[in-house]
Amino acid sequence: MDVLIQLLINGIMLGSMYAIISVGLTLIFGVVRVVNFAHGEFLMVGMYAVYLLFAKLGVHPYVAAVPVVILLFLLGVLIQRFIIQPLLDADEHIQIFATVGLSTALVNLALMVFGADLYSVSAPDLRQSLRLGPYTVLVGQVVMLAASLALVIGLHAFMQTTALGRAIRATAQNRTAALLMGVRVDRIYIISFGLGAACVGLAAALVSPLFPATPTVGTYFVLTAFVVVVLGGMRSMYGAFLGAMIIGLVDSLSAYYIAPDLKEVVYFAIFILILIFKPTGLFGFGRGTE
Amino acid sequence: MTQQSAAASSATSGSGLLLQLTNPKVYVSLLALSLVLVIPLVSGSPFLIHVFVTICVFAALSTAWNIVGGYAGQLSLGHMMFYGIGAYTTALLIQHFGLTPWIGMWIGAVIAAVVAALIGYPCFRLRGPFFSLSTIAFLEVIRLLAIHFVGFTGGSAGLIVPLKLGWAWMVFSDKTNYLYIAFGLLLLTIGVSLAIRTSRLGYYLTAVREREDAALAAGISNSDVKLKAVIVSAMLTALIGAFHAMYLTFLEPATMFSLGTSIEVAMFSLIGGLGTVAGPLLGTVLVVPLAELARGWLGAQANGLHGFVYGTVLVLITLTLPAGLVGTFGPTVSRWIDRLPGGGRRPAERIAPALRKLEGAKGEPILTTKNLVMQFGGLTATDNVSITLKRGEILGIIGPNGAGKTTLFNQMSGFLIPTSGTVAVAGPNGAMVTPASPDGFARLGVGRTFQIVQPFGRLSVIENIMIGAFLRHPNVQDARAVALRVAATVGLLDQKDVEARNLPIGALKRLEVARTLASEPDILLLDEVMAGQNQSDTMRMVELIRSIRDTGVTVIAIEHNMQAIMSLSDRIVVIDNGRMIAEGDPREVVKDRKVIEAYLGEDFVDAQGF
Repeated sequence: MDVLIQLLINGIMLGSMYAIISVGLTLIFGVVRVVNFAHGEFLMVGMYAVYLLFAKLGVHPYVAAVPVVILLFLLGVLIQRFIIQPLLDADEHIQIFATVGLSTALVNLALMVFGADLYSVSAPDLRQSLRLGPYTVLVGQVVMLAASLALVIGLHAFMQTTALGRAIRATAQNRTAALLMGVRVDRIYIISFGLGAACVGLAAALVSPLFPATPTVGTYFVLTAFVVVVLGGMRSMYGAFLGAMIIGLVDSLSAYYIAPDLKEVVYFAIFILILIFKPTGLFGFGRGTE
Repeated sequence: MTQQSAAASSATSGSGLLLQLTNPKVYVSLLALSLVLVIPLVSGSPFLIHVFVTICVFAALSTAWNIVGGYAGQLSLGHMMFYGIGAYTTALLIQHFGLTPWIGMWIGAVIAAVVAALIGYPCFRLRGPFFSLSTIAFLEVIRLLAIHFVGFTGGSAGLIVPLKLGWAWMVFSDKTNYLYIAFGLLLLTIGVSLAIRTSRLGYYLTAVREREDAALAAGISNSDVKLKAVIVSAMLTALIGAFHAMYLTFLEPATMFSLGTSIEVAMFSLIGGLGTVAGPLLGTVLVVPLAELARGWLGAQANGLHGFVYGTVLVLITLTLPAGLVGTFGPTVSRWIDRLPGGGRRPAERIAPALRKLEGAKGEPILTTKNLVMQFGGLTATDNVSITLKRGEILGIIGPNGAGKTTLFNQMSGFLIPTSGTVAVAGPNGAMVTPASPDGFARLGVGRTFQIVQPFGRLSVIENIMIGAFLRHPNVQDARAVALRVAATVGLLDQKDVEARNLPIGALKRLEVARTLASEPDILLLDEVMAGQNQSDTMRMVELIRSIRDTGVTVIAIEHNMQAIMSLSDRIVVIDNGRMIAEGDPREVVKDRKVIEAYLGEDFVDAQGF
């Protein structure tokens, strides 16, 4: 019983990490309608940035979140403006190739600059265990859970209450109608892509203390993020959050009860089944993938 | 097909070989292709031989990928799963059963085909990026399983191919033998790719890629066509994987089921030109030597460099040359080649003779709907409609906008399944049957047009019509002859080589009719084909519809052009709010109080004192 509860706690903690990575992906897909295959590489760039700030300037990873979020916002803006925007009316497969190419280029750029070594941010205060009776969690994980909840609620409030949020929602629902209502759709796309990337910047700051940066760290997380987003119904923040929790739990439980190296098989299997049988996502949010 | 045209086509194929070899497009291609073999053989350098074996392997992989990714437009990013399956099957069969790789590779191909069918069938309905994601997911699952089952595959540590030398075991100390096999595989793959491209399947794949609905209406089963493409592609990929494993003599899950390599293979096609025959080879020939040379010169320093270059090139190509090299420069180069000796010949065009007269008794029911109801959520778009269409008549369907006319058509052609009620069509033996899918309706002789025209934009006018003609004429030459006849009938012969997306709306409406007509339907469903036509085009369309009916085809037409539909129809059905409010002779129907009310409102009816 103790083992199961510990596994469930681990699952929720893992889920909050997946949630914070997936929120940006949901935002970009929901508004710009582009499936960003380079999303994981944004995380990778962010993690290297956090590492550099930490190693060269001694900045605490959580403090580094501020410049890294800004950096990633700018990266997102540039990519939307110069790569995605010219391709918005192109065939879907051209868009796929563009973001896949971007992903390949960024992974290998990191390999050229940093090599294949692992770079860890050592933050012993965040890797400390908190005891809750017989169970343990890391401080960094609790922060992540709190931050992911705050991010989802904050983004939701932003979308519902601000004029910019309304314009983003209008653009997401109907690009042409929004355009006719005077919304500058191109600019909304740029801001949304930037925001989506900025979310990953925050994720990078929170993940760095727990995971070392490698050129392929993004590839590792992005496939999971796609599973989460599809599970959540593609366009819903809350859907993505719940999807992340489910994948976190599946990850934690199947690693223990099935085999550690088969946990990904389990959630890829879930992913494929959802795509085929319930393309609107597990909770029927969003409009699905067909 | 008539006997005359069969004789004609066999006569051309008799002297065809010599004629083809003197065609510069053929001899230039063959010469260029042979360079892949001749250059390394003449140089004799082991490094060059290695580079060219790699070129052959990747060009073949990319060509095979292009059948799915290019022709069918299904962007698989997990294609290396088939490569890995071919490789592991072959290696394990040698190891455990001492089976020669020449047989093992075909067993691998069959397993790959089964896996492709199992994956393809459910995944094909996923839209672009989600299909790609699902193929990545499958690739990852297979790779993780290959790592997990150590006892079977050797796990991460890998598997060494038993080194028994000689042709029987496909392992050589003289590397030129590998080059022969690799080149042979390349020829096989390009041959298959070319055969598909120039056959009905190739046209069908393009049609399905461009517009699934119009393809269904032309009687094409989308999933069957895509399934054929993915199975052929998977089998070829597995054969190449099997050979490459024998060449590398070492298999590990990370390289056999690599996402990176899957992307590379797709990239070569994009650079060369997606959906073209020569594109994948051209892309590979340009990129692979650069990567191999960079690896040779820079060694470990270049760690990541070639990947970075690949990724950057990929982004740049999508931004600057999305049609790829062949797609962009192909037509120009093709004109240059035509200036070579023997070039520029065009085979004489054959126009098919007029259509057979349809059989069956005039006036017998040919399509019936019984108590059709179609609900979309709370909206009842079709409300208890029963219509009997009689053979040989022209039935007009009129009604205000939003009355549910097109919804009715969609049910009569299988695009919508009614909430309740039935649609039945006269089958070949006279019994009334209900096909299960839109393509089934088309095969039974129900041809339909779309109100919002659905041309295959990148195909020429004549190719668009051929898509329809293939339904009854699988042979490309016959389909073309039929298409030419139909193009002449609807007045599109002058524009036959224009890409459909460049046509004005009036011509697109006629193209819509032509494509349907070419499928030689018994029943023709015309959805507002006169909208957007000018006065003289409308007259021509009326004449055309009459002449179609005179060949025995039953016509049912939705139309807003009252003058035209009234003069054309034998019978009129009026639909309003999903219900059938009047039916009968055109002259009677226009006087019906309910009909005038539906169009002009109650007040008008009262004021006019009807």
